Amino acid sequence: MQNLITRQRVLSELTKALAETLRIDEQSIRPDSSITRDLGGESLDFLDVNYRMEQAFGIRMARHFFLEHIEEIFGEGAAIDGDGRLTAAAITLLQRRYGGTGMPDASGGLDMDEVPAFVTVQAVADVVTGILDTLPEKCRCGAAAWRSGDGTHITCGGCGEAAAFTDGDELIRQWLAAEAGDAGLKPV
Amino acid sequence: MSFAGKAALVTGSSRGIGAAIALAFARSGADVVVNHRTPGGSSAARAAGVADAVRALGRRAVVVPADIGERRSAEGLVAAAVDKLGRLDFLVLNAARAPFKPIERLLERELRQLVETNFLGNLFCLRAALPSLAEAGGSVVFVSSLGSRVTTPSYPLGSLKAAMEVVVRDCAASLQSRGVNLNAVCGGLVRTDAVKAMRQVWDRLDTVPDDAWVAPEEIAEVVLFLCSPAARAIRGQTVVVDRGLSSRLLS
Repeated sequence: MQNLITRQRVLSELTKALAETLRIDEQSIRPDSSITRDLGGESLDFLDVNYRMEQAFGIRMARHFFLEHIEEIFGEGAAIDGDGRLTAAAITLLQRRYGGTGMPDASGGLDMDEVPAFVTVQAVADVVTGILDTLPEKCRCGAAAWRSGDGTHITCGGCGEAAAFTDGDELIRQWLAAEAGDAGLKPV
Repeated sequence: MSFAGKAALVTGSSRGIGAAIALAFARSGADVVVNHRTPGGSSAARAAGVADAVRALGRRAVVVPADIGERRSAEGLVAAAVDKLGRLDFLVLNAARAPFKPIERLLERELRQLVETNFLGNLFCLRAALPSLAEAGGSVVFVSSLGSRVTTPSYPLGSLKAAMEVVVRDCAASLQSRGVNLNAVCGGLVRTDAVKAMRQVWDRLDTVPDDAWVAPEEIAEVVLFLCSPAARAIRGQTVVVDRGLSSRLLS
């Protein structure tokens, strides 16, 4: 876990990005705000915010949604059934991965179109922090001297190279590889 | 050119190329129906902004949210346009929706949504608008993109754009007797919010020189030209508006 970029800084930069993307006041954005339901965000807005986070922190956010990854690895229908509702396995995995940030009890079933509404500001901040926490112990040059002059970008104190983090899609794949078996899923 | 007394429906006009087309029509004297897909949310606010800009130009504007991929919704959109503005002279099929993934990796429901919005939805709108367009001697312009003719990474939308260009070609012939003209505008790299999606899959997008980018207004100008009497001898064609990008191999 890195400690050069604080969680507060991540939340602050995300709030700024959301305000600019959605053309709303920063004061109206809270950590528990749903990006779609409370702030009016739509799919292109998520892409814009992702891009801004990538630029802000030098990371690569996931290009594909969590449920898409489940279906790519475990087969179509593994996450979303023929009626467009989340499977029990998908709900379990969603809650396990994102449950700390407001995922509701979805034991009664959940339509796939309802899922974006549960993505909160804090959830996105946690994703960004999760990527930042993949900072390797050492730089490729061998130095273990990471630093951050501006509080948002991490560079090597030895060679000056920008830090390389695990990208968001790979992070999800690694997590699913470790956790999905407990939810009864097997790769196709 | 003047479109005073005319009415235009532009699908997907809350932002980007669609918004530019809506405003261009308004500047030319036409009343406009502004369409977006999702009621509420940021696109509703943007659509309202486009409508306000149309009204500021002295024209009538109506915002109608509708998902054209659903037949009844598309038919309702056209019905609302004709009901509110009393006529329909121009139908611009601009709305599009697609994931940025190689087509062979699309899940079944993504494939179906791709076809529903970008092919069926356009046909639903066209069919619903035909009686009014025929009465007005109107025009249809489909907004296509280079993905219809040039291999573009992670751009399955290109296959449906190509299909629609053929629809435009064929319907221009079959509808000639009804006095309706159809053409398409194929945009190159256009500076819109869609770039936010493109740059996620095309790492080198930022290296494209400035002079290769097309402004949404430049697409709009060609759309309006194709709707004008000056374009009456152009039927079933796809006009490429890309600053020559697709013609360059080594430069």
